[in-house]
Amino acid sequence: MTADVTELQPTVCIIGSNVSETDPQGEVTRLLAAWSSGDQSALNKMMPLVYAELHRIARRAWSQHPPNNTLQPTALINEAYLKLANAENASFQDRCHFFAVACKAMRQILVNHAKSRLSDKRGRGLANVSLDDVQPAVHQEAAEIVALHEALEALHAVDPRKSMVVEMRYFGGLSVEETAEAMGLSVATVNRDWRLARSWLIREMNRESL
Amino acid sequence: MNPPPAWEEIERLYHEALELPVCERKALLARASPALREEVESLLEADSNPGLLAAPPTHVAADLLNAQSGLAGGQRVADYEVISPISVGGMGEVYLARDTQGRPVALKILRRHLIVNAQAVGRFETEARAASALCHPNIVTVYESGKSPAGLFIAMEWIDGSTFRAIMNAGQVAIAQAMDWGGQAARALSAAHTAGILHRDMKPENIMLRKDGVVKILDFGLARHGAAVGPERSSMGASGTISGTLSGTLLYMPPEILRGETATSASDVFSLGAFLYELTAGQHPFAGETPLDVFEAIECRPVAAIGSLRNGVPQEVDRLILRMLDRHPGGRPSAREACEVLGRS
Repeated sequence: MTADVTELQPTVCIIGSNVSETDPQGEVTRLLAAWSSGDQSALNKMMPLVYAELHRIARRAWSQHPPNNTLQPTALINEAYLKLANAENASFQDRCHFFAVACKAMRQILVNHAKSRLSDKRGRGLANVSLDDVQPAVHQEAAEIVALHEALEALHAVDPRKSMVVEMRYFGGLSVEETAEAMGLSVATVNRDWRLARSWLIREMNRESL
Repeated sequence: MNPPPAWEEIERLYHEALELPVCERKALLARASPALREEVESLLEADSNPGLLAAPPTHVAADLLNAQSGLAGGQRVADYEVISPISVGGMGEVYLARDTQGRPVALKILRRHLIVNAQAVGRFETEARAASALCHPNIVTVYESGKSPAGLFIAMEWIDGSTFRAIMNAGQVAIAQAMDWGGQAARALSAAHTAGILHRDMKPENIMLRKDGVVKILDFGLARHGAAVGPERSSMGASGTISGTLSGTLLYMPPEILRGETATSASDVFSLGAFLYELTAGQHPFAGETPLDVFEAIECRPVAAIGSLRNGVPQEVDRLILRMLDRHPGGRPSAREACEVLGRS
């Protein structure tokens, strides 16, 4: 039986997929410009486009060769940037804005996957055919990601800047220098923010799990 | 009551403490108010163990995204329409689906990204072949297997019921009930052995009870036609790494398999015996705290007669189960003999 391309589902049709037909590149470039000129709603409009592209890239990068995977989130975000934004003409500020959105999208992708993973587990009352390999480790990871996400929301209420540093450093995989650049902060400030935020989050997560 | 310390204060003292050698931090913190000191101490403690946040979530992401290549309700796989997921395992996913006539089927799918893994494909195809070669009321019926854009698939009988793992977790089983169910499982195994097929992974997770009381054996994922091979290594673990553990569940593994010898029909009999013991006695014959304890129990711990744990088990059955658990494959009865004894009881 040969694979009928028209039947491929989005979840499995990863290789060679093109950016959707509605030209998200033009759209993202326009939204970045709008945002730079003060249109705050541009962020919300851009989010779904970045999410979709990043999700596609992440699926391709992280689902294909699981054993030897070392691709960092930053590499995927860069790829999404090159694909979605008119990188040659984009301003430095546009690039920073894009990275901020992309790190948020990356967080959302992981959290959504983790949540659906956990609800799968709960909803699975009757097993018809047994699991070949139960995957408790993945459930543990999923639970940790959701716990981190919730702790990060609590941190946002206390100190929004630090929660953003974590979003960029952890979910986006950005280095301290890249985070400083994207957020317009000094390297020393990012270092301090990151260290305190990290401790604060770990403490909150440990308290939750008690 | 004192107000909680301000965030700025916490932040300042935390960084101040971090700049000091560990031995000097205590003196610094001693000068702070108790509430502030407690805050900063707990943060410093967390600082030494960044856990999840030590590195970007590359591996976590790979695990999560891999675990999610599932199909949604309404999607089609060959002639089947997916209704809902039942389970997501390391190797395959199982869905409740319906065929063109609207009848429910269980659809097992080998994930597309694992198709590059020859061993996974081999296992999947063996399962399809082995199970479809068997036609027995106590063995799950395979309708069809093939390829689809979603991956390799096996369409099989949908069983409305629960696994024996779930049944045993729910509480002790009446002895007469255990004899009936055990007898049905033994008949299925006997039929497979007559057809020259070994199951190789008999365990309560792979044995189901349909709501109408019919026992069904499933998951011939490790089954091999006649020519049995030694124990395999399981392929993918939770993190997509080679886990290196023996496939199958340790608790039901006969000693000869632990020693790396070839599986025979007597190996299946041993595994079935361990299940029957657990079902009848209400506890596992080789239970242990760690895998090593279990290894040791299987290799050398004497198995107590079920009669010493629970009244009412026919002596003949007690003797049968202990013989099924004989450490030497040659000392075990055949599955057919087990059927006969259980049938009489």
